[in-house]
Amino acid sequence: MDSLLLSKGDLSKFITELIKKNKVFAPVESNGTIIFEQISKPSEMNLEFCKSEYPPKAIIFNQTETLFKFTPGTKAKIESVNLDEKKVIFGIRPCDAKSIAILDHAFKGDYKDPYFIKRRENTVLVGLSCTKPEINCFCTSFDDTPASSKYLDILLTDIGDNYYVEVTNDKGKQLTKGMSQLFKPAKEGDSKKKKEIEKKAVDMISRHQKTNGIAEKLDKIFEHPFWKEIAFKCVGCGTCTYLCPTCHCFDIQDESTLTKGARIRVWDTCMNPEYTLHASGYNPRPARTNRVRNRIYHKYNYYPKNFDVIACVGCGRCIDLCPVNIDIIDVVTRAGEVKP
Amino acid sequence: MKDNPYQPWLATVEEIRDEVGGQRPIKTFKLKFQDKEMQNNFSYIPGQCAMVSLFGEGECFFAISSSPTKKGFIEVSVMKLGKVTTALHELEPGDTVGVRGPYGNNFDVNGWKGKNLIFIGGGIGQAPLRSLISYIVDKRKDYGKLDIIYGARTSKDISYKKEFAELEKRKDVNVHLSIDVKEDGWKKFVGFVPDNLLKVKPSPKNSIAITCGPPIMIKFVIQNLEKLGFTEDQIFTTLEMRMKCGIGKCGRCNIGNLYVCKDGPVFSYKQLKNIYGER
Amino acid sequence: MVDNNQLKDAVKKTISRDDVKYVVGYEKGTYGFQTTPCFAYKPEDAEKFIFSPLCVHNLSVFPMLEEKPPLRKGEEPDTRKIGVVVKGCDSRAIVQIIQEKGLDRDKVIIIGIPCTGVVDPKKIKAKFPGHIKNVEVKDEDDKFEITVDGKTQKIPKDELMPDKCKTCEYPTPVLYDILIGKEIKSNKKENFKKVNDFEKKTLKDKWEYWEKQFDKCIRCYACRNACPLCYCKECMVDQLNPQWVRRSVDLSENTAWNLLRAFHLAGRCIGCGQCERACPMNIPLMELNKKIEKEIREMFEYEAGVNAEEKPLLAMFKPDDPEEFIL
Repeated sequence: MDSLLLSKGDLSKFITELIKKNKVFAPVESNGTIIFEQISKPSEMNLEFCKSEYPPKAIIFNQTETLFKFTPGTKAKIESVNLDEKKVIFGIRPCDAKSIAILDHAFKGDYKDPYFIKRRENTVLVGLSCTKPEINCFCTSFDDTPASSKYLDILLTDIGDNYYVEVTNDKGKQLTKGMSQLFKPAKEGDSKKKKEIEKKAVDMISRHQKTNGIAEKLDKIFEHPFWKEIAFKCVGCGTCTYLCPTCHCFDIQDESTLTKGARIRVWDTCMNPEYTLHASGYNPRPARTNRVRNRIYHKYNYYPKNFDVIACVGCGRCIDLCPVNIDIIDVVTRAGEVKP
Repeated sequence: MKDNPYQPWLATVEEIRDEVGGQRPIKTFKLKFQDKEMQNNFSYIPGQCAMVSLFGEGECFFAISSSPTKKGFIEVSVMKLGKVTTALHELEPGDTVGVRGPYGNNFDVNGWKGKNLIFIGGGIGQAPLRSLISYIVDKRKDYGKLDIIYGARTSKDISYKKEFAELEKRKDVNVHLSIDVKEDGWKKFVGFVPDNLLKVKPSPKNSIAITCGPPIMIKFVIQNLEKLGFTEDQIFTTLEMRMKCGIGKCGRCNIGNLYVCKDGPVFSYKQLKNIYGER
Repeated sequence: MVDNNQLKDAVKKTISRDDVKYVVGYEKGTYGFQTTPCFAYKPEDAEKFIFSPLCVHNLSVFPMLEEKPPLRKGEEPDTRKIGVVVKGCDSRAIVQIIQEKGLDRDKVIIIGIPCTGVVDPKKIKAKFPGHIKNVEVKDEDDKFEITVDGKTQKIPKDELMPDKCKTCEYPTPVLYDILIGKEIKSNKKENFKKVNDFEKKTLKDKWEYWEKQFDKCIRCYACRNACPLCYCKECMVDQLNPQWVRRSVDLSENTAWNLLRAFHLAGRCIGCGQCERACPMNIPLMELNKKIEKEIREMFEYEAGVNAEEKPLLAMFKPDDPEEFIL
């Protein structure tokens, strides 16, 4: 791993260089919210934020994805789509980067999803450490910090006049090739400063979720009436699933006119009753209790059973935006305490 | 892209057979891949399923109801129930559909050699069982006794009438058909399939029971099998769920941490008892 | 100020009745300024109930969310009543649903709270950012008294109230079984100021504004799911035969969805703002609904959700209507 320094004044030069060869997605202020959008110059960026409204997984796992095109009807032909585009996501937080690593498990495996995998290969993640976590951030409950470079290709941390730059792998090195004039080697004092800033951010996190042994505990309380209590307030709006960086459920639909069509994949939410509705009318998850419980189990029990990692990164978006204040920190902590 | 699991292969509808008429008609489609190499290399084991798509309408997950011992084509049985199945029922021989697969796990045809097999099916549930029955009949010497218990609402609703007629003629297969309600001219058992099972009284010794049908039938069949002395790992069933991707990615069809499209649809009763989740 | 003890007693009395399944009200939330819906199944649960200016949610969405699971043989359906705690604006949703025969009047027990204005969660979060614990908000005439971690401030209501409270015409619930406190008469009038200002813009500017807003839409349908009046068993966007609105997320489909929903709520939207609060992308949905409300008032002199005996506006025909046919 290389440790370098980038002066704040040179940041826009760095971004301009990146824009020359890649599509750069950076946090942009749009109508009162921060979202990741493609930028054409560094001045469009806005780095004063804690987390973006919309998770950056949307750049690799598109909300609407054309799987292939066809001519509809009974005499059909198929054409495929092109996916090669070099992208850079700049300013992604360590928690969101971890979520992409978590999604890797779902999309690789026995059947490889070419759309996600190709896009992932062609995207470089340049992260920005979090210095002001908000009230519902709890990444530290998963042994991670707001300044962790574990899942990023390059990580920038604001240490005053400069950014402390950690290039963690070959992908990151490849990206900064030819820009060595912008970077200076970092000194020991700089590394210490970064650790101090990291500690300050960790100390700011005030809410914690107890996740030790949660998968095993959940095994024992599936039929507990506690779930009805939690889930009864849910109105099934689905906001939590659309903004969660690790949710990956999708729907596949054919959309066509008389002469041409495409099979598309769109994000879907398990909070809808139609999600599991059989054509015969039978629905294995008819009530909100079943669906809310399924979502929590999927993140804290099924995913760990299949891939050995809890599918939650502690970003807190679901807590911020749930209109009825269903709080996942509270739910999981209580699940850990309830008697089976 | 050849390595894109979402992209289906083109297949032509060779033949359509009407199995059942009425309100919920069932038709069997014989499909042949347009690419000769694909047809030759498409190998599957009974129990596995395929995603059949009608471009412009959608895709559905069907059990392959023909046996792999019959080469050159695959068959799927479709009941007309929703948007895609209704459109499939309008097809004619010569039309193109998309097929991708085979997906899912299979019946343990090797592990069950030498055992007695009891099949208990109801309604459209006979489709995955038919693949296995056909396979075993083609390799009859490898397996022990073969009992088939099948029931439908009325005699018109019985699927695969031709195959059952041929199986009844064979001396090495015992067929026990039933219908739910009395009918003129029906001389066999009248009643529900679980009750027919108790009447047939198969022995659990060295046997495997495989059941498929409506959820309520499966529940009572398993109860009665346990009454007859079958243990949890002697009972197998196939489950279904609403599916979209068929490869364990879209998250819809999960029961607990298992996906019905990838880790199923064949499950042993022992497995089902240990995973919780809605079914 | 609403007397919380009176509220708790009313809830206790209601839940103690044999024919009541549960009562839904508000309780303290898990962080910051949040309050959350809570359910009382037995009299002891009533202790959790509170009411303060932080109670923003419209709880009338819950009676329509009742799921009816399939019954076992011999089991009777549970026809017990549901108690709901409502403010003035929320009660109009229940009245509108009763008008449309979505709910029977005798299936709900309405515990009404005369409201003098609530706090907009986004505005107060912007005013007090950071890791807040221990909050209390009280109502003092035209100011809110806000206590955060021991320090108290008095802030004028106009700074923190949502727009709907500034023009509230029905502070007292229009229909109730029990009232906590005394009826309040409103001295405010709905003036449709934002709608009138927007109408003055050119067509080009109007389209540009809404295109920018609909571009943000992610079609999560939180607006539909959180709305008390969106209770269709099968929403038009879930239908596939025919598919009215495609599932892909692009400007054309987003515009179709938002406008269609606004039109389906014509003459039915009561302006509680729940859709705008639930929207994760901050789309100003109330502006669309308010515009349609204004047209309805001018064309038909009708207000949604005020009189439970009335027939729903767009579902009735009188012989002396100006048009010749029902269309």
